[in-house]
This record gives sequence, structure tokens and C-alpha cells, in this order.
Amino acid sequence: MIKKIYLIGNPNVGKSVVFSRLTGVQVISSNYPGTTVEISKGYLQLGGERIEVVDLPGTYSLESTSSAEEVAVSLLKEYNKDEIAVINILDSTNLERNLLLTLQLIEGGFPVIACLNMCDEAGHRGVRIDIGKLEDILHIPVISTCAITGAGIKLLIERIKEAAAVFRDRLTHEERWKEIGRIIEQAQHLEHRHHSLREILEDVSVRPVSGLIMAAGVIYAAFKFVRFIGEGIINKFTDPLFINFFQPLLEKLTFHWQEKGFWFHLLIGDLINGKIDFKQSLGLLTTAPYIEFGMVLPYVISFYFVLSLLEDIGYLPRLAILLDNLLHRLGLHGYAIIPVLLGLGCNVPGILATRVLESKRERFIASTLISIGVPCVPLQAMIFGLLGKFGGFYVVGVYLVLFSLILILGTILNRILSGYSPEFLLEIPPYRFPPLTILARKLFFRIKGFVIEAVPVVLLGVLAINVLLYFRLFDFVTGIFAPLVNGLFGLPKQAVAALAIGFLRKDVAVGMLAPLGLSVKQLFIAVTLLAVSFPCIATFIVLWKELGVGDVIKATLLMITVSIILGGTLNLLILR
Amino acid sequence: MKKISLAQIKMNRKAKVIEILGGHNLQNRLMNMGVHKGRELLKLSHIGLRGPVVIKVGRSILALGHGVATKIIIEAE
Repeated sequence: MIKKIYLIGNPNVGKSVVFSRLTGVQVISSNYPGTTVEISKGYLQLGGERIEVVDLPGTYSLESTSSAEEVAVSLLKEYNKDEIAVINILDSTNLERNLLLTLQLIEGGFPVIACLNMCDEAGHRGVRIDIGKLEDILHIPVISTCAITGAGIKLLIERIKEAAAVFRDRLTHEERWKEIGRIIEQAQHLEHRHHSLREILEDVSVRPVSGLIMAAGVIYAAFKFVRFIGEGIINKFTDPLFINFFQPLLEKLTFHWQEKGFWFHLLIGDLINGKIDFKQSLGLLTTAPYIEFGMVLPYVISFYFVLSLLEDIGYLPRLAILLDNLLHRLGLHGYAIIPVLLGLGCNVPGILATRVLESKRERFIASTLISIGVPCVPLQAMIFGLLGKFGGFYVVGVYLVLFSLILILGTILNRILSGYSPEFLLEIPPYRFPPLTILARKLFFRIKGFVIEAVPVVLLGVLAINVLLYFRLFDFVTGIFAPLVNGLFGLPKQAVAALAIGFLRKDVAVGMLAPLGLSVKQLFIAVTLLAVSFPCIATFIVLWKELGVGDVIKATLLMITVSIILGGTLNLLILR
Repeated sequence: MKKISLAQIKMNRKAKVIEILGGHNLQNRLMNMGVHKGRELLKLSHIGLRGPVVIKVGRSILALGHGVATKIIIEAE
């Protein structure tokens, strides 16, 4: 009787895609090892019964060597072996390396069914696998699938019940590799293929000189593309909608509302020159939706589009190789670029992705650097929106300050923290070009996640601001921090409220700076401080969960210290 | 034929693994990814002076930190 089904396999063989196919639960999948850092669970209807399916993190072996692998192996042992079925997912294009885990699973007495995924790609690459032969040798059901298109999944579901433990001698590591060599010789046939354009590109991107040129090109193009799409959506779509449609509607509805009391203040906010100004009015129906849908969402869409594309093609691990040298100086290795890039979208998934790093020390450094020096898309969009009109120089300036901060802080942390950071050891996936539908689904999933998480907090934030401002409750806090903010950072005391709201959401906080009439210098200092100082509450909670209380306190003290030093220094250094 | 580390040979050279120095954990991780004694590999790239090394083993491409590469002793063709 099967009570649970586990999906297990090497990193980056498409476990999450198979999982989505089996359960209908959408999870993020990308073309690099270690996308799945959280355990996903879903259900599959099998013969009228609802069975739980668990997607385990990728593992090369049952003799775990990393924390993600340990999790996978320990979960596998939760139930009795006769109560589970293990679907071992293999990459057909690299059968040899994948068979190690398969042999270990069979030897360990698990009821295994092998799923040779990516069969279409194997075909393109001239790899022919004799499924029948493989079944004869291994004595377990073997099914060839292509999870991206769904081919073979039905057969896989039908045959899950055939999974049964078979006896096999336990081998030593070396015997096992020899055995795999024999299996491959019998069941796999390689056709000779000439180097395709794709393979040439794969090579070029990891060579020292050509790789760096390509990386510079890709990063530049990605950045330009994000701005192009983001601005395009704002200028062609959201701005016309807000200004030509929503604003007249709001003005008509509130036209007869003569008494501008509490409710007017709450919903519409302050009128600027007798009109609604979406950037400055600060009302629940004006600035709140405008910040989220008119300023931030367009960039969320464009950023995740470009990121998802790079992820699915498989470029990111190559970038990791090229950046390994630099990141080593910060106590990290090249693969830390993945959490950093995810953090540019939103710090929360960025910090979760630090689980791909092996040691606690690396995870502390990476999480701290992300929460201090990596601005999320909502914050960046607001920086573009507010600071951009003074010229690109200031926007670039913010990035330069943050980048230098990462380098300086990373170097210091690497020097003072005890222990050492493990070396880089990573499999580089081939380039893949997934169908657009897959990309679109992933993009939709991420945007939906953003809207669900952001909108309530933004509304709550604007509500809180308005209530606090209306009843002058901020005055107390403002009074306490005014000497610091005014004397040291050179900001007006009203900015205290905005900096405080930064704890709730960064985009709203920057939005609050808009009506203050700050000079360029003040705006520059304020947005930099918002980026560096306390992370937003969602990030803070994740930091807490991932690092534990002690390290969170350390990280927080670091953030406060850095903010005070940085704010003071910028105020002294910038003359205009 | 001489025995040197993977970090020392030039790019585009084929080599055979003779020995893997370093701890049990590293040996196991490499073994799990298909790098073990007697295995043939091709060095694809080496970034900078002390940067990572990229190799091709069987059908996989692996990136190894410089420290790892110095621990893989090989026999170059």
C-alpha cells in the first residue's frame, strides 16, 4: 500500500517540472542546480486514492555531502520502505552520472521506478537509450518522459504501482562506477554529432576572455531590456490608465465632497494645487494603487521576465564561474551570485536561495550582504521614479554606493568571521530553450506571488501612515530621532516617518519622501539609507528563520551601524 | 607523462585522474559527480590566475574552485 511518493534525482534533472505535472502544483523550476530549496508537497490521484507526492531537493548520492542532500535523504527514511514509492528522475542526456543514485536506491531496498526525463533533448544530442535493456539490467520499471511537454507522464503514473524493492548486492563506490560503465555500454548508444552552435556558445561563455566579454554584454542587455519593458508598460499602459481614466473618475466621485475631513484625507489624501497627484497625495485610493501598479508592478514584470529567461536558458551558473574570483574575496564563492540576483527581485527569495551555499558562515555573509546592499525591484523602481528626473547620474550613484558597500562589508566580514568558506563545486547545465508557455507560466506565478504579498501590506502601510499623520502620532518618534536624522544626515525631520515606514515596505517609504520637497542631495541620502538600513518586515522574518536569533541580532546591529556611518559620510561628502 | 595538479595544466588538455587529495568529504563529493581515480577528463577553461577551473567529465561540465583543482592530481597526455 503506497502512502507516499517521493521524487528524487540529481540536481537539475527536472524534478520540479515532473512534480508540477503529477500534482498540478506550480513550483519554480530553472535551468541550474539547486532551484528547489524548499520541500514542495502535492497530491496525486492514483486508483481513486489521494497520495501525497514530495519533491525532494536534488542529490547526487544517498551518502549526503551537503545540507540539502541530507534533508532529501532523511525525508526518504521517514516511512517504512513498503509504504512508499520512489520515483527516481534521471537526465537522459547524462545517464552515466545519474545512474549512481539509481543503483544506491535499488541497493538500499527502496521500491524504485526510474523516469528518464528530457528524452527529447537526448534525441537531439544523439543519445539513444534502450529502455527495455535498462529494465532487464536494473529489474525496475523504466519510463522515458519529457516533462516539459508532458510526454510519458501518463505512463509514469500508470506504472507507479509496479515500483517494488529488488535485491541487489551492495557495492563499493569504485565497483559501482565500474558497474555503471557496463550498463552504459549495453543500454546507451551515442551517435557522433558535430559541434552545434549551442555547444560553441556553451564553450565561449566559460572561457576567460570571451566569457567576460559575453557576461558584460549579457548584463548590459539585461539591464537595458528591463528598463525598456518597464518604461514601456508605464508610458504606454499604466500611466494613461491612471491619468486619463482613474484620476477623472476619482475627481468626479469626490467632487461634491466639500468637507475635507478624516475620510477624505484617508482615501484621497492631500490635493496638490487642487488636484490629485498620484505620487504625492498619499491616499488609499490614490498613491497606494499608483505606487504598486503604476510604478512598481511594471518593473516587477520586466525584471522577472528577463531573470526567468536567463534562468531557463542556463546562463546563471556560467556567470557564477566568472565571478568566483571576486566573490571569494567576500568569503563567498561564485554560486552566491544566484541568491544575489534573486535578491534584486525581492530579498525574500534571495535569502531563501542562500541555502545553495554550504556553510553557515557563507549563508550569514550572503544574507547580510543581500539585506544591506541589494535593493529589491520595488525599491529600485521607486528610485528610478523619483531620482531619475534629476538625471541618470544620481541613479547610477545609488548603485555605485551600494556596490562599494557590498565589497567593503564582504571583505571585512570575510576577515573577522572565524572559519573558512568552502570551495566552489558545481555542475554547469547545457543551454536550453524552453517553450514560451513554460516561461509565461513561471512569470505569471511570480507576479501573482508579488501582487498577493505586496498589495495588502501597501494598503496597510498607507493606512497606518495616514492615521498616524492625521492624529499627529508620528510627532513623538520624529522628536526622538530628529537630531540624528537632521543633524547627521541633513534630512528634514518629516523624513523620520518615511524611514520608519521603510520597515513595512520600501516602495511606500520612498513614496512618502515625494511630498516632502527634498533637494537632490537629501533625496539621494534618504533613498540610499532606505536601501541600506533595516530590511522590510518580510525580509526580516525570513532572515530570522534562516539565521536564528543570534545572527539576526548581529546582522541588525551591523545594518544600524552601517546606516549611521554611511548617512553621515554621504552628508559630509556631497556638496550640492 | 608527468603527475601534476589539474590547476597546472593548460586549457584544452586531456588528463587522467591519479589521485584526489583532501578530505573525505571532498573526495566523496567529487566521486558522486563522476570524478574519481582512473577517470579521464578534459580541461575546458581556467579563469584568471587563481580562479575556477572548468572540466568536462563524461557528458557533464563541472566548475571547480581553484583550491579543489589543486587537489586533483592528474597525469597529462
